[in-house]
Amino acid sequence: MPKGNIINREAFLANIRAKIGGISSDKPVEKPAWTTEPQKKVLEGYDRDQLITVLREQCKEIHTDFYQTTLQDLSETITSVMKEYESETVVYSDDPRFENAKIEDYITSLNAFKWDRTDREGSIKIAEKADVGITFSDITLAESGTVVLLNDKGQGRSVSLLPANYIAIIPKSTIVKRMTQATDYIHAQVEKGEDIASCINFITGPSNSADIEMNLVVGVHGPIHAAYIVVDDL
Amino acid sequence: MKVSFFVTCLGDMFYVNASKAAVELLEHLGCEIDFPKAQTCCGQPAYNSGYHKETLEVAKHLVETFEHAEYVVGISGSCVFMIHEYVHLFEEGSEWQKRAIELKEKTYELTQFIVDILGVEDVGASYDGVATYHTSCHMTRLLGVKEAPFRLLENVNGLQMIDLPNRHDCCGFGGTFSVKMSDISEQMVDEKVEHIEETSANLLLGADGSCLMNIGGRLSRNESPVEVKHIAEILNSRGDV
Amino acid sequence: MPMHIGEKDFKKRVTKGLDDDFMRGAVRSAQERLQDKRATAADELGDWEDWRTLGSEIRGHTIEHLDYYLHQLSEKVAELGGHVFFAETGEEANEYIQKVAKEKDAKKIAKSKSMVTEEISMNEALEDIGCEVIETDLGEYILQLDEHDPPSHIVAPALHKNKEQIREVFHEKLDYLKSEKPEELALFAREKLREEFTEADLGITGCNFAVAESGSFALVTNEGNARMVSALPKTQITVMGMERIVPGWEELDVVVSLLTRAAVGQKLTSYITALTGPKQLEEADGPEEFHLVIVDNGRSKILGTEFQEALHCIRCAACINVCPVYRHVGGHAYGSIYPGPIGAVLSPLLSDYEEYQELPYASSLCGACTEVCPVKIPLHEQLIMHRRKIVEDEKKSPLSERVVMRGFEQLVNSANLYRTATKMAPFLTTPFAKNKLISKGPGPLKHWTHARDFPQPANERFRDWFNSREKRGEKNAKR
Repeated sequence: MPKGNIINREAFLANIRAKIGGISSDKPVEKPAWTTEPQKKVLEGYDRDQLITVLREQCKEIHTDFYQTTLQDLSETITSVMKEYESETVVYSDDPRFENAKIEDYITSLNAFKWDRTDREGSIKIAEKADVGITFSDITLAESGTVVLLNDKGQGRSVSLLPANYIAIIPKSTIVKRMTQATDYIHAQVEKGEDIASCINFITGPSNSADIEMNLVVGVHGPIHAAYIVVDDL
Repeated sequence: MKVSFFVTCLGDMFYVNASKAAVELLEHLGCEIDFPKAQTCCGQPAYNSGYHKETLEVAKHLVETFEHAEYVVGISGSCVFMIHEYVHLFEEGSEWQKRAIELKEKTYELTQFIVDILGVEDVGASYDGVATYHTSCHMTRLLGVKEAPFRLLENVNGLQMIDLPNRHDCCGFGGTFSVKMSDISEQMVDEKVEHIEETSANLLLGADGSCLMNIGGRLSRNESPVEVKHIAEILNSRGDV
Repeated sequence: MPMHIGEKDFKKRVTKGLDDDFMRGAVRSAQERLQDKRATAADELGDWEDWRTLGSEIRGHTIEHLDYYLHQLSEKVAELGGHVFFAETGEEANEYIQKVAKEKDAKKIAKSKSMVTEEISMNEALEDIGCEVIETDLGEYILQLDEHDPPSHIVAPALHKNKEQIREVFHEKLDYLKSEKPEELALFAREKLREEFTEADLGITGCNFAVAESGSFALVTNEGNARMVSALPKTQITVMGMERIVPGWEELDVVVSLLTRAAVGQKLTSYITALTGPKQLEEADGPEEFHLVIVDNGRSKILGTEFQEALHCIRCAACINVCPVYRHVGGHAYGSIYPGPIGAVLSPLLSDYEEYQELPYASSLCGACTEVCPVKIPLHEQLIMHRRKIVEDEKKSPLSERVVMRGFEQLVNSANLYRTATKMAPFLTTPFAKNKLISKGPGPLKHWTHARDFPQPANERFRDWFNSREKRGEKNAKR
């Protein structure tokens, strides 16, 4: 993609520089050593199984159904969640992990649509009508009960957003303590000069709002129900 | 131990019994009391209203007045905090700032002094009553004295303490705020009074004359039976229970 | 909506707030809930004070090097193919946004919540050129339907309305026929807004935090509307106040963790969406074109002054949620889209004292705001600094007050004068007192005694007692 335009920058920054006595924009500023780093101490020493316990507990706080299963039983678990949500139609991301986990055949046996990275209108239209969206979690945060989706290419921003229900398949190996580990990973990508996903979603349960008398209402613009399925041998 | 007593304006003119009680209490605990007669106001009314040039002069006066003291003990958390604030009024590194720092380091609020410096939590007081305690904002949030009054009150023989709901809410005094924004201030004090009434205590205690004057003024206007006292008066009571 | 809202006269706005019983009930219960949730979330972390310290260090460092980080941000966004416009004023920002809307022939614009776009009256500017702007945050949507009722809180804009009032608005404007249950109201809004999202030609978002190192933008929401706005329309404009930036992802973690806890007591909100550039070639959804508008609009006036820390604000509203003045008068009384303690600090800075001179005085200086601020802005001290500026630099305090304060200075600087005055006080006040109480005071006491009695000064001052006791040699008699 060609470089975008930058308009009015120099005068704008010169004004700021005059006020704060900055030197020059292109001279690198070193971040100071922060005096404290409490984010690194959260859930310190927890192993993955302990983190799963934290995740399971947190799911209660965020109105999310929690399941733990194995590869072998994964399709069965998905079936039962869909039943629970009275869902029939599925949209799922174009992601090799479905194939790798050997559940693509199962998914295609449902009334399912694989997100089409070449068809914007069509994909959005189908996702909008689908009962349930299914994606894999890239990084899973135990503390907050969050699935992190690095949405690029065939992942589709809409898959986890437009359907009324959402299922996240969580490989056990993706579970970390908290947001710190996820942002460390992304920061490392930036440091190495790699492209980061154009849309990174930190999803914590179904959508909700407390805008009416501070009453929590679940399911405003995004999904009304959310289920996390932790897969032990992934 | 020699203590220079900082009486504060309200303590000198309105809450005389509280001030007397504080002096007697400190003496009871073995302190020798000195009262520098040149002391006036801490300057907070001017400072909070934005008159900082005027406050600076007041600060110099009090710095000089208490320069000789070993310890300065005041009976208002808010006024004591104002003395601590002098440090920021003077120019960084100036001689006056050094003197202000010296004053800050030896200036304490009454209950803070008894608990932290004298190391006493039971002053041997007894008082028959059911009381609730108002935590003043400046004393708790700015001066950081949160526990000391409760420690001391817990050990008063015969006194039953009831938690004040929403005790961290401001009573609505705020110095000139209570006059400038009197309509808002009235709502705040009314809310405080409601909470006091919820406790069904017959006695309201506090460690800051200004809050007590505000809440007491509203209680009195409402013809409420709740009595208002400064904590020093209770801690200095030695009656039979 | 411009920054200034409601009546011009401060006193009138306050009276209106104090008279609105429903609003006060709603605010009171919302404050209690939010205070509890924030406190619980902070306690759960255990080392909340360390988190605050870190938050304050990060914000301090970023603002001290704002030119560097904005430069880095703009470079990264442009590298990704996005366009960056630096707007010194609200007008400049609006003109640019209008230009983009015209180029894209945008009829319908879906917008997620953004305070800065309120501040610069962006919606009106777009409506002027014939665009339809739809607010998609539930609270904002309700207010927009209700004849553009202004927001009264920076996180929960419709905090001042009850569900019956909301039902009425939906009924009147959209023929809504169901009940006032929040679930039904929300479901109705969901269906209505779904149509708008899919039809929108242009999406406009605010920005909670920009990440300089990668040219990314984090949007913190619960409803998912910001995700809709950044997934469905083909063109996206993100508008940010110039201070809403952090150096990198590591810092984003900290400020987001502080924001969600301080604002609503959540560990993370339902959605934190981090957008980096327009959509890439192999993606189906997301904007094909991305514009970033960085707005100054008075913020640079604050840099380098004693108020610089006000720019550290992460807009969590924790200060608003604990403020007793806000509780009683409500958000609209501040006359600014930024209410509460941070609003009282910020509004006169972004605008001027002419418009907002009363706000720094609308505080009892109880310090509850300073205590909860997750990035340690000394809010109540900044209010005192405003007062100092109004008095000493602007010389705008009332003459009567200046005279009193001058007198006060002379009085308390002279031990003799002070002693004489305090001795005279009981006699001077005797005509007003009954049983040692003043219930109708003269001068400024008149306001105090409207609802409160004032004690009459004691005849024997403490110092008289102490003196006579000393003379009698009773000192330390009880030992």
